[in-house]
Order: sequence, then C-alpha cells, then structure tokens
Amino acid sequence: MTTIAASDVKQIIVACEAGMGSSVLLTNQLAARLKPYGVQVSHSPVNRLSDDTGDVVLCHAGLASRAQQAAPGTPVIAFNLFMGDPAFDQLEANLRDGGTIGG
Amino acid sequence: MADQELARLLPREAVQLGLAPTDRDTAVSRAGQALVDLGNVEPGYIETMHEREAMVSSFVGAGVAIPHGTDEGRAMVRRAGLSIQQYPDGIDWEGQTAHLAIGIAAAEGEHMTVMSRLAEVLLDADTAERLHTTDSVDEVLEILLGPDD
Repeated sequence: MTTIAASDVKQIIVACEAGMGSSVLLTNQLAARLKPYGVQVSHSPVNRLSDDTGDVVLCHAGLASRAQQAAPGTPVIAFNLFMGDPAFDQLEANLRDGGTIGG
Repeated sequence: MADQELARLLPREAVQLGLAPTDRDTAVSRAGQALVDLGNVEPGYIETMHEREAMVSSFVGAGVAIPHGTDEGRAMVRRAGLSIQQYPDGIDWEGQTAHLAIGIAAAEGEHMTVMSRLAEVLLDADTAERLHTTDSVDEVLEILLGPDD
C-alpha cells in the first residue's frame, strides 16, 4: 500500500460522492485543525480524483475502494464517522510528530 | 436581515419544524420534495439523493443528516439551496438518531458559507441541541445564517 512521509504532505483531499455535502463539512473542520501543520485541505468528488489531486485522500470507508482506484499512487485513509473518527486524530498526530501516513 | 445571498439559499419557507417521526427513506424523499417545491432542483434529483444515501449514509453527527444528490445529480440542480426538516423526537438513520435533515442542492460551491457555519454548529453540542428542539424558525435561521442586524 502507498505511503507518504508526513513532512511531504501539503495537500489533503476529502473525497465523497458528489463533493457537495459531508465532504464539504469535513473539509471545513479539518482545514482549521490542520492549518498549524502547513497542510491545505480541499474536497473533490471521488470520480474526479487522480494521483495529481493531492498528497493524501481521506474518504468514507464505503467509497475507499473507488478512491484508491481513481488515485492508485496516493495513500487513501478511510473513516466511518464524519465527526470524531479516530482516523482524524491519528492523521493529526502523524502530521505533528512526523510519522508515515498510509499503509 | 441576514445576508441576502444566504437568505436566498435558505428562505423561511424551506424550514419545517416539529415533524412527526418517520423512516429514513421518507425523510430523504421529503427533503428532496422540499427542494423541488422551492424550485431548487428537478424532480429527478430526489432519486439521486436515495442513490447517494444507499452508498454512504449522509448522517454526519450531532443528530444531523444532510441528504443530497450524487455527482450526476448536479445536472438537475436549478439553483443552489437547502431545505430543513426537524424531527424533535428523532428518527432512525442507519442506526443513528437524526433530529434534523438538511437537504442540499448545489451545482458548484455556492453554499460554502452556510456549510462552513454548519460545520461549526455541529462541533458545538449546545447549539446543535437547539436546532433539534426549537420551535422558532427565526432561531434556526439565526444559527445557520447569522444574526439579523
């Protein structure tokens, strides 16, 4: 599975089906949270993703396989809850501590 | 008055409070029908809301679900807007309890300001709770669009 060093992450993409609902909410919340680490957060419909869209893709577990297909060379982090999913805490901890993301 | 542009996204008549409990499918249809009645979407959009719901639940937390269409459904959006249905007693939404359904129609990013406010509201349990139970449309509009000046 694809991985990336946290220090190389500049752009995180929140992917969802249409990019007009839940991904917008999550993007707003994460953008504020991850700003201190110099990371930008934006969102995209899953079927418009490519490996050029961003450094890491976040998406709901139900869409993870579609996201990985669309961006095979990009780490995809799946979550189940739009708010308070442990995956977001883990991501923030990795960005803060300089870990490896994905895998 | 709240900002004119925001007020167009969420007019008073888009807010329905104190609805009796129902099932999720009915709630999605109702959210969609409200968008049709408000002139935001063509009737076919409702079907794409159900398709989207079948892929991933639109429940986002804090007792709120935000049913909306698929990427293909965008073509049936006439004008961006929201509809709100409040179920004070809660309804089962894929195992979660939703008190508020917020139907969304957007072709591009016209609704970002409201979504940004909603993102903040959802992180504030007290404010979210007010949205679940208030019987005042003014209060809902003030929370989501900002205070009247």
